[in-house]
Amino acid sequence: MDFRPSSAQQMLVATAREVLRKECPPELVQRLALDPRGFDDTLWRRLAELGWPGLLIPPEHGGSGGSLLDVILLVEEIGRAGLPGPFVTSAVAGTTAVLAAAEADARRRLLPALATGERLVTLAVLESSASFDVDAVALAGAVPGRLTGSKLFVPDAHVAHDAIVAVREQGDVSLLLLPLDRAGLARLPLDTMSGEKLFELTLDGVAVSADDRLGRAGEGRRPLAAALTAGALARTAEMVGAAQRVLELAVEHARTRVQGGRPIGGHQAIQHACADLVRDVDAARGLLYAAAWRVAEGLAAEADVAMAKAYAGEACLAVARRGHQIFGAIGYCEEHPLHLLHKRIHAASLDFGDTPLHLETVARAIGLA
Amino acid sequence: MDFGRSPDEEAFADEVRRFLAEHPPERFPLDGVDAGYGSGAHSHAFMRALGERGWLAMCWPEAFGGQARPMFLKLVLLEELALAGAPFGPLAGSWQTADAIIAYGTERLRRELLPAIARGEATFWQGYSEPDAGSDLLALTTEAKRDGEHWIIRGHKIWSSHAGVSTHGLVFTRTSREARRSRGFSMFVVPSTTPGMDIRPIRSLTGDIYHYEVFLDEVRVPADLMLGPEGEGFVALLNGLDSDRFWGRFYKAPALLRVLRRLVDYANTTVVAGAPLARDPVVRRRLAAMAAEIAALRLLFYRAACLLRDGAPITYETAVAKVYADETGQKLARLGLELLGPWGVLRRGSRAARLDGDIAHAYLTSLGHTIAGGTAEVLRTTVAVRGLGLPAEPKAR
Repeated sequence: MDFRPSSAQQMLVATAREVLRKECPPELVQRLALDPRGFDDTLWRRLAELGWPGLLIPPEHGGSGGSLLDVILLVEEIGRAGLPGPFVTSAVAGTTAVLAAAEADARRRLLPALATGERLVTLAVLESSASFDVDAVALAGAVPGRLTGSKLFVPDAHVAHDAIVAVREQGDVSLLLLPLDRAGLARLPLDTMSGEKLFELTLDGVAVSADDRLGRAGEGRRPLAAALTAGALARTAEMVGAAQRVLELAVEHARTRVQGGRPIGGHQAIQHACADLVRDVDAARGLLYAAAWRVAEGLAAEADVAMAKAYAGEACLAVARRGHQIFGAIGYCEEHPLHLLHKRIHAASLDFGDTPLHLETVARAIGLA
Repeated sequence: MDFGRSPDEEAFADEVRRFLAEHPPERFPLDGVDAGYGSGAHSHAFMRALGERGWLAMCWPEAFGGQARPMFLKLVLLEELALAGAPFGPLAGSWQTADAIIAYGTERLRRELLPAIARGEATFWQGYSEPDAGSDLLALTTEAKRDGEHWIIRGHKIWSSHAGVSTHGLVFTRTSREARRSRGFSMFVVPSTTPGMDIRPIRSLTGDIYHYEVFLDEVRVPADLMLGPEGEGFVALLNGLDSDRFWGRFYKAPALLRVLRRLVDYANTTVVAGAPLARDPVVRRRLAAMAAEIAALRLLFYRAACLLRDGAPITYETAVAKVYADETGQKLARLGLELLGPWGVLRRGSRAARLDGDIAHAYLTSLGHTIAGGTAEVLRTTVAVRGLGLPAEPKAR
């Protein structure tokens, strides 16, 4: 057993931390939180120059051929900086779906632009059942034919070029890659508590042909599961990174905020709350790394991923809530970073399967009938 | 990163499992109760069996009769034993004492005690706490006074686990008054049969005998049974605390996993209102959440293990892991009692008891775990002050 990242991974993390410190400071995060697009093109191009969108993509298609564990370490830093935007949606989940589903010519066509960050894809999976269970996909897909219905909670659809749409075909699931400007498609924004950019995607007789397929008919289950796994782990990394930031801010506040003549962190009530922040962050991070390592090694990891996501969802939210208590009134202000981190954790806890969904996976894995 | 077992570790785990299959743990006679920490009951017979396999000394340097095997094999052994519910209560304490003797023990301790530890014959109780020195250990009043080639110890120790069934006590004493409150303490390894020691049982709220109090009245101890440098006992103890917390709780995660598996089996086979308990979504979620907690707990300990193995500094990691172990254990015991309902409170041996009454025992014993070996409060303070750099509260002088 070894918890140390490789030297390449340490370099990736150190670079990410430095770049994000400089180019994604808290002021930018605050500005983006109030910005209707919530997206900074210059910053995205900068991240693309660093090769981040291509981390998972093999070198022959313009990426750097990293592992999911590498990506997880990067996303943890993204979460720590509170960087909003489509990285997890497109560069992790969407890219994983393309990698897992697309045949040779589609890979050649799609991956290079994904690697450079010029092309962004989103995933349109959820419907009114709001369940990430693959079996919940109900939108009827007839290819060639016309699609009518709606997809919900589609992230970053305002900046994405294409949506990977999960449809039901002959009792199984197929994936389609649809340009978001296709006639009949509309992106209707949902107003979220977190500020995450989520949309309802309405399909009104959208024409689809065999060229729109991502992978073969009825074979969407496996690539979709791979994308959901990668997305779940990336969102877990985002939660862990954001919770780590809450911990750092709260400890700094406890050290420097003086009341009654001494720092509040000199009182056991605050000390013990801070100790619990450490426990929650460390425990969540351990499960995250172990699960990502198993995925990267090609080992069975379904239960590990589910545990990591379910656990982080609870633990990191507890960190955020305890953070508010430590900060007192100042943490209630819009200009303070705490609420953004808290809301990010909350949004991430729902994405790619909420806690009950993942706990059900764990329940089966531990042998509950 | 690597979160798997190495081939050597896997092969050793197989070896341990074969041993356990050939020597079913429940056949070994027990000398002292299982206090619920995960290491099972105190059994000299089981310790001797481990000694015969060469596992007690396997990680010692060859010069001390060991095989210099990697420390992580000890973790594999503890995990496999705990998963099987084996009675290895004294094991971690024996290892720690041996490590201290190897590090700074006298010739006599090395010559006499190491072989006895390796054979599984010597087991140890800790004489640290006193009636007025609990969380504030430095308030202790047990004193040792030099008398030629001997020290004479006088005092009163309490909460010493298995003192009545162990061969030696590790008795922490004051040997001089120094300006600094933390100086002037020394540790002795005292055979339990030494004249002047009165070891009296304390009945626990479980109804069993686990703790003892020890009255030391003019106990003469040869000077070469002092463990570590004179007057530096507290420094050694503090340094040892990180490994104490580690070795005192490492096996909790696999032991809790064993309990969890029994609860899963219980939920699958128990029908309530016409359906298996396992079909209740609340039960499913709570057991699944416990599984995740136990997995997280195991990793917290393995992370600390990597730091210990690599000789990296430890500030808060073992303290966090210990608190988490004990609180997770309490949570699982509570959940178990809830699942079993009225059957949960039936003790082992009772008519109609389920799961051998183990859940009731686990519930009761777990109450002591957040107190023993450093209270959850003291440890949270340690995490905050040593780990996070928050200002310490003003200390008594």
